[in-house]
Amino acid sequence: MAKEMAMLHDVSRCTGCRACMVACKQWKNLPAENTPFDGEYQSHKSLSSKTYNLVKMNERVEDGKFHWDMIKVQCMHCENPACMKGCPEDAISKTDSGAVVINQDKCVGCGYCAINCPFDVPKIDAETRKSTKCNLCVDRIENGMVPSCAQTCTASAINFGTKEEMSALAQERLTAVKASFPNAQLYGVDKNGVGGTHMTYILADKPAVYGLPDDPKTSDAMNLWKDIIRPLGKVAGVAAIVGCAGAYTLSKVIAKKHKEHKENGKGGDSHVD
Amino acid sequence: MLIDKKYVPRHEKSFIVCHWLNAFSFLMLFLTALPLYADTFRFLYDIFGAHTLQILHRVFAVVFIATPLIGMLIARKGFGTLAKEVLSFDKDDMVFMQKFPPELIGVHPSGMPKQTFYNGGEKMNISLQAIIWLLLVVSGLVIWFGNGLISKETLAWMIPLHSIAAGIGFAAAIGHIYLAASVNPDSMRGMQEGNIDARYASAHHGKWIDELIAKGEITREEVDKAIGINQEKPNKKIG
Repeated sequence: MAKEMAMLHDVSRCTGCRACMVACKQWKNLPAENTPFDGEYQSHKSLSSKTYNLVKMNERVEDGKFHWDMIKVQCMHCENPACMKGCPEDAISKTDSGAVVINQDKCVGCGYCAINCPFDVPKIDAETRKSTKCNLCVDRIENGMVPSCAQTCTASAINFGTKEEMSALAQERLTAVKASFPNAQLYGVDKNGVGGTHMTYILADKPAVYGLPDDPKTSDAMNLWKDIIRPLGKVAGVAAIVGCAGAYTLSKVIAKKHKEHKENGKGGDSHVD
Repeated sequence: MLIDKKYVPRHEKSFIVCHWLNAFSFLMLFLTALPLYADTFRFLYDIFGAHTLQILHRVFAVVFIATPLIGMLIARKGFGTLAKEVLSFDKDDMVFMQKFPPELIGVHPSGMPKQTFYNGGEKMNISLQAIIWLLLVVSGLVIWFGNGLISKETLAWMIPLHSIAAGIGFAAAIGHIYLAASVNPDSMRGMQEGNIDARYASAHHGKWIDELIAKGEITREEVDKAIGINQEKPNKKIG
């Protein structure tokens, strides 16, 4: 069994060079996307079916001080993936290493994973009509390599290793980062509403600053839908058809008996009180 | 005045069109979504392509949403009657609901109180269909357009809600079709020609016939005559 792995992005070390974005596109053979210039360094507004990994470069002024909040966003590879729970075709699965992967052959592009993901990660490709997202370079990590983004990071901001190694590194780095950023905190390392994630962060500030939900959650709605409503719905549909067929048969039998009754001269009507 | 001295006018043409558009769009919506709901029907995706069915689902959704909205303009009388009848659910309707079940297997209960334009069961079905329509439309539109506009948690709950409404709607539709086609085949004419046999109307909607006579739209004599004609040639149906 493969070891449980994790990625750790230390935002305090990120220089926003975007080499990880390029490395991702290269390994995944994804085309470049033309993005408009909006007066800031931000390139793509959000993840897309052609961009699985994005460095956000949000400009913020607080108390007259300029902040540049940089963060690498991608699939969080949740312990309890809401996308997997929401997929009606069982096209999404989690590997032993913790990577959440989409089987393109099974995917029908319904978009339920996109609806359910608390991080708004999966994107349906307009041409292939399939759901797309980062798969933690599952092909690389299961052959002893590190994901292409982690491989290329020049500032050692992206780390990759076993879950235990990354947790230990996160705790160690947090102490150091707190000296410069008192609000610094870990994200996804410990259990949370999605059971913890395999993409983890050392954030220099509150999650909301980076556009991350404070309490991401795998909705109970999907458990209810998949485990109760779908099976019950099938039973109800079949029961309605069988019930009507049964009632129809019974009505014919009663009609036949009634006819025999009449022919025997006993008369009467098929009325009940 | 009876049509052909035998049939009581019941539904206007535009209302009939709305009924069948609603029925057809619901059926198509159900079929185009079925592979998402049950793996048994995955072959539909394989044959037609998932994307085609997903687009068709949205096309029929527009028909399903628009039908009653346009219907309220072009079939005012029919929809007015629907609303009036549902809001006047009374004691006789309750008695109908209690005595009705044997009818499902072709046994006609005695002592059934006279019913109005719609009987107690039909009133229940109309209310149920209206609630299901609203649930399907609201949850469906939220799933279609809501991503990014409303909270993820609310969005996620729309999927089970949409499925429950579709499931109940389907079961109710099967019951409705069975009752119309097998138990009361005479009622089918109402949604085809727009009129029903006077004999059937008197037996199943006595209070409505009384109303029509009171209003002077038909006369007691012509109804009696119509029923008399029918009695000379007995209906093969029991009861």
